[in-house]
Amino acid sequence: MTTTEFSRTVDLDPDRNVPGAPRPGFGHTLRAEWIKFWSVRSTFWSAAMLFVIGVGLTVLVCATNAEWLASDGADEHPGSFITFGMTFAQITAIVLGTLAVTSEYGTGMIRATLAATPRRGAVLAAKALVLTGTLFVAGTVTAFAGYLGGNWFLGNEGIGLALSDDGVLRSMFGSGLYMAGLGLLAAGVGLLLRHTAAALSTVLALVFVVGNMVFLLPGAWGEWAGKLMPGNAGSGVAAPVSFNPDLLDPWIGFAVFAGEVAVVLVIAWVTFRRRDA
Amino acid sequence: MITAQRLTKIYGDKPAVDGISFTVEPGRVTGFLGPNGAGKSTTMRMVLGLDRPTSGRVLVNGRRYADYPAPLREVGALLEARALHPGRSARDHLRWLAASNGIPRTRVDEVLGLVGLESVADKRVGKFSLGMGQRLGIAVALLGDPPVVVLDEPVNGLDPEGIRWVRTLARELAAQGRTVFVSSHLMSEMALTADHLVVVGRGRILADCSMTDFIADHATSYVRVASPQRSEVADLLRRQGLDVALHDGELRVQGLDAASVGELVGKNGLLLHELTLVRSSLEDAFMTLTADSVEYSAHSVPTTTTTGIPA
Repeated sequence: MTTTEFSRTVDLDPDRNVPGAPRPGFGHTLRAEWIKFWSVRSTFWSAAMLFVIGVGLTVLVCATNAEWLASDGADEHPGSFITFGMTFAQITAIVLGTLAVTSEYGTGMIRATLAATPRRGAVLAAKALVLTGTLFVAGTVTAFAGYLGGNWFLGNEGIGLALSDDGVLRSMFGSGLYMAGLGLLAAGVGLLLRHTAAALSTVLALVFVVGNMVFLLPGAWGEWAGKLMPGNAGSGVAAPVSFNPDLLDPWIGFAVFAGEVAVVLVIAWVTFRRRDA
Repeated sequence: MITAQRLTKIYGDKPAVDGISFTVEPGRVTGFLGPNGAGKSTTMRMVLGLDRPTSGRVLVNGRRYADYPAPLREVGALLEARALHPGRSARDHLRWLAASNGIPRTRVDEVLGLVGLESVADKRVGKFSLGMGQRLGIAVALLGDPPVVVLDEPVNGLDPEGIRWVRTLARELAAQGRTVFVSSHLMSEMALTADHLVVVGRGRILADCSMTDFIADHATSYVRVASPQRSEVADLLRRQGLDVALHDGELRVQGLDAASVGELVGKNGLLLHELTLVRSSLEDAFMTLTADSVEYSAHSVPTTTTTGIPA
C-alpha cells in the first residue's frame, strides 16, 4: 500500500459527539423496533380497525340475534356470539403482522435495520415481541369491549353471560392470544416471501379459505385436516363456545396453533439468518 | 480503515465481485469507481455485513462489521437504494436508528441540523425530493459520529449546490481523520473529491492508486496539428525532440504547448490549417480503462472530447 501525500493521521476524539452512549443490547433493539412500529400510520389504523371491527361486529350480531337466542328455537349458544367480531378483526392482525416485515423489504428499510443491528435473531425477536405485545393487548381490549357492548343486548333478553361463566374470561384473553399468534404467523410468512401482497394473500387464504375447504375432504382426513388447520385450531380459544363442534378443545387447539406458528417462525428465522439483505 | 481480502461474491455462477483486495486508509477520501454493474454496491453491502461474501472477507478497523455491538458508531453508511419507509418522518427514522445503537436522542437533532433538514424533520420522507432523501441518508451515516464513513453514490440526484456540499463534507470528514469511502460511476466527480482511487470493472480491480498518479498516468494532453505540409512539419517537430504521432491524417504532438508549436512552424515558413490543444479528460481515461468491463455498452463511434482536466 503506497502512502500518498494526502495521508495523515488525525486521532479522532474517542468521545466525539455521542458521549456516554451505553453498549447496546436487546433492550435497544426492542426500543428501536417499538419506535419503528408506531411511527408509521398503518400501525395506528390497523389497530383502530381491529378495535372497531371487533367491537362493532360483536355488538351488531349480539343486538340482532339476542331475541332469537333467547327463544326456544335457538340452536346456537350466546357464547358463540360474544366474541363474534374477532373472526373479522383477525384480518387486521394479519395485515399488521405482514406489514411489520414486508414493508421493510418493499422499501429497502431492511438494509438500514440490519446495518444498525446485524444480529438478525435479535431483530426478529424484537419485532415478534413488539407485534405480539401490541396484538395481545389490542385483541384482549377489543374482546372485553365487545363483551361489554354485546352482553348488554344479551342481558336485556335474560341470556347475559357473566365473566365467571365457563370459558368467557378465557375467550377474552384467548382473543388477545389468537390475534398475537396470527400476527406472528403473518410476520413469519412475510419474512419468507418478502412481498406484501404474496404474504397477505397466502395467510388470508390459509386461515379463511383453505381452513374451511379442508372440512370437505372425505372422512377422518377431512375432520383432522380441518381440526389442525391454523385458523381452526387457534380460534377455539377466542370464543366461549365455538360455532363449530368439530374443533379441538380450546387450549389443545391453541397449543397446536402455537406449534404451527413456531415452525413457520423457525423456518423464517433460519432463512433470514442466511439470506443476503 | 477498511480492508478487503480476496473478497468474492458469486450470484448463481456469475461473479459480481471477483476476488478483490484493497485497503481504504483513514485521513483521505477514497473513491470507489466503476461503471454500473461493476460490483461497487455489492462490495459496499459486504462491508456492511448485509451480503455474505462467497469467499474472502472484509474488515472494518480490524473487525467484521457484524461483530460490532454498536455498528452505527463505527461505520456510517449511505446506501444507494434509499432504505427508508416513505410514511415515516425523518426525525422518527433517525430516532429508531439512534435507539438501536444506544445513541442519545440529542444527537438526532444535531445531525438534522448538520444536513439542514430541521425544518422538514417531521415531514414524511415519502414527500422528500431526491436531494432531501440523500441529505437524510447522510444524516443517518453521521448519526453515530463514526470513524468510518461509507457513501454509495452520494451525489445521485443532488443539485449542483448539494453536490458541492457532499464533496466538501467528504473532504472535511477525511480531514478529521476519518476513513471515507465514496462510490461513484462518475470520474469527474471523483476527480474533485477523492485523494485515492480504487477502480473496478466486472468485479475486478483495474486500478488502485492515488488520484495524482491516476491523472498523470491516464490523462495525457497533446497538440493536434493539421497542415498541408504534414511530413515537413512532422520532421521539423521531431528534430526539436518532440514526440509526434500520425493519427487519421493529423499530427499529435506532445512535449510543447500549442502556441510554441505554432511559432515554431511559422518561423520555418510552413503552413498550418489547425492547431488545437487536446486534453484527454479523466472521463475518457476512465472509459478507456473500463471499456472492456462495461456490462452493457452501446456500440457508438468514439469521439474525442476537448474538455479540460477538472481541477
